[in-house]
Amino acid sequence: MKSQFKILEHPSDLGIEAHGSSMQDVFRNAAYGLISVVTGDSRIETRRELKVEIRALDRENLMVRWLTEILYLYDAEKFLTADVKFEALTDTLLKARLLGESYDGSKHELKIDVKAVTYHQLSVDEHDGYWTARVFVDV
Amino acid sequence: MSITQLDKYRYLIPKSFREGMNVEGLIYASEEIIGAIERDETLKQVANVATLPGLVGRSLAMPDAHQGYGFAIGGVAAADLEKGVVSAGGVGFDINCGVRLLASDYSLEEVKPKIDSLLNQMFSSIPCGTGKSGILEISFEQLDKVMLDGAHWAVENGYGTSEDLQHIEETGKMSGADPDEVSKRAKQRGRDQLGTLGSGNHFIEIQYITEIFDEEAAKAFGLKLNQIVMMIHSGSRGLGHQICTDYLEVMQEAMPKYKIKVVDRQLACVPVKSKEGQSYLKAMASAANFAFANRQMMSHWARKAFEHVIGTGSLYLVYDVAHNIAKEEEHSVNGRSIKVLVHRKGATRAFPKHHKEIPHDYFETGQPVLIPGSMGTCSYVLVGTERAMLETFGSICHGAGRVMSRHAAKKDISADQLIHQLKEKGIHIRGASKSGLTEEKPEAYKDVRVVVDIVHNAGIARKVAKMVPIGVMKG
Repeated sequence: MKSQFKILEHPSDLGIEAHGSSMQDVFRNAAYGLISVVTGDSRIETRRELKVEIRALDRENLMVRWLTEILYLYDAEKFLTADVKFEALTDTLLKARLLGESYDGSKHELKIDVKAVTYHQLSVDEHDGYWTARVFVDV
Repeated sequence: MSITQLDKYRYLIPKSFREGMNVEGLIYASEEIIGAIERDETLKQVANVATLPGLVGRSLAMPDAHQGYGFAIGGVAAADLEKGVVSAGGVGFDINCGVRLLASDYSLEEVKPKIDSLLNQMFSSIPCGTGKSGILEISFEQLDKVMLDGAHWAVENGYGTSEDLQHIEETGKMSGADPDEVSKRAKQRGRDQLGTLGSGNHFIEIQYITEIFDEEAAKAFGLKLNQIVMMIHSGSRGLGHQICTDYLEVMQEAMPKYKIKVVDRQLACVPVKSKEGQSYLKAMASAANFAFANRQMMSHWARKAFEHVIGTGSLYLVYDVAHNIAKEEEHSVNGRSIKVLVHRKGATRAFPKHHKEIPHDYFETGQPVLIPGSMGTCSYVLVGTERAMLETFGSICHGAGRVMSRHAAKKDISADQLIHQLKEKGIHIRGASKSGLTEEKPEAYKDVRVVVDIVHNAGIARKVAKMVPIGVMKG
């Protein structure tokens, strides 16, 4: 699966701009963007599966809570996400299966410590069926 | 609407700058650096903070200010305890990120020839770098004790001495901490990171004193020319990051209940005295204590490294200050003494002599204020003044202030070139990551000399001593 995201510059920190042809795509690509900030181009295999369910106030809030979940799983439980299978996705609810593996120092690079996902210049928009999300992270 | 220059070092953001400002904004800057501050979103963010309910005085930005998230970094905002709000974003993700300075009785001549061995020893005994776990395995029960007792826990467990505690803000144990207000997730994230430096701009530097500006204050702080000192910059690691993340959500959800609307979601806030506000402050104090313990433990290992490589001697704690914190303090506003919650986000407390919070041996001098410069430049010790109490809720800047994105910083220099350049200047470096090093190159920051001169000339602190590094350990 080809990732569609790019890393944005911010005077103090960095951002992720994710694209997609559906809401699922843009949420998935934002997660890939975050994982690439953390581990660079390290190859992550799909050896384990985790289930997540996230509720939120609105779509932007859901994006922050979603990426916060991906970050938490890495930072506290050493789980690196490689693929996402959505079971439900609305503006206020996300249910998904995360496929990935545990961090392994012999094959995964640790590039940047991400402290948190922020609301700074946050957007998750759709125009004519094309989705774009911008999220800045504190590093 | 533009800003108005009030004098050589003060720029006013009038209430007309944007709709909804409850107080004015004030920037400490000079003609030399106001341009850098105007180029990003700093002014807008200082003005946004001024729209928060119940602020008193002014929304302030120090000369190292730069664009942050919601709040500018280098910002100070004080809220009335009864009518004002507390904002998790106003403290930031790295709760009690701070700096401590230890002064040694080792001379430059003793340490300089052994600096490589010393850095190697420190690098092997102090965990640092991205994703690095600590040496300790602590249980959740022990973690609760760390969050309650801070540096006191560290001393009781053999890290340093009880004399150290007198020279830490809050004596290294902020009252009001309650680990029950800290989520399991935050504890899980922080548990294996106690006693770790971290990455990014966190560092340990071996420096020596090159200039004394105020003999009397320097003497009181135990500082003299050519003396070797050590500066440690670190915070509360994943524990603090997650507490801030958690409470941004709690505050956003609670805001409608208190009829609070903010102009930027990152400014989410609740009344200081609300249930959610009090919970946050208890969790924040818990993270602050974790950070005090963290710096105390690293000091202990660094002392051991000095003993091992250089020989018997002492490294005495001059002071330890927080620069991301919110604190209940009493200040005079419009001639009236009131209790406020001072948010310092990338700003340092700078209390003058005779303040009750100052250690007794500094009582006639004032609080030492520690200002690190960018890697390979210089750092300063200053002392608080009365004028800071009148204008800035006893606060000044916290460092040089970033002007270049991390990505941009990497563009025109390789890590090896940077290491070589600094070595030519007599500065030896150990870094956990090469790319991390170039992100922190000196040009990525404002000139700390300019920043410090502004706070000195504006009268909100006085320069005491200047230090130059000979060894740098980067996360």
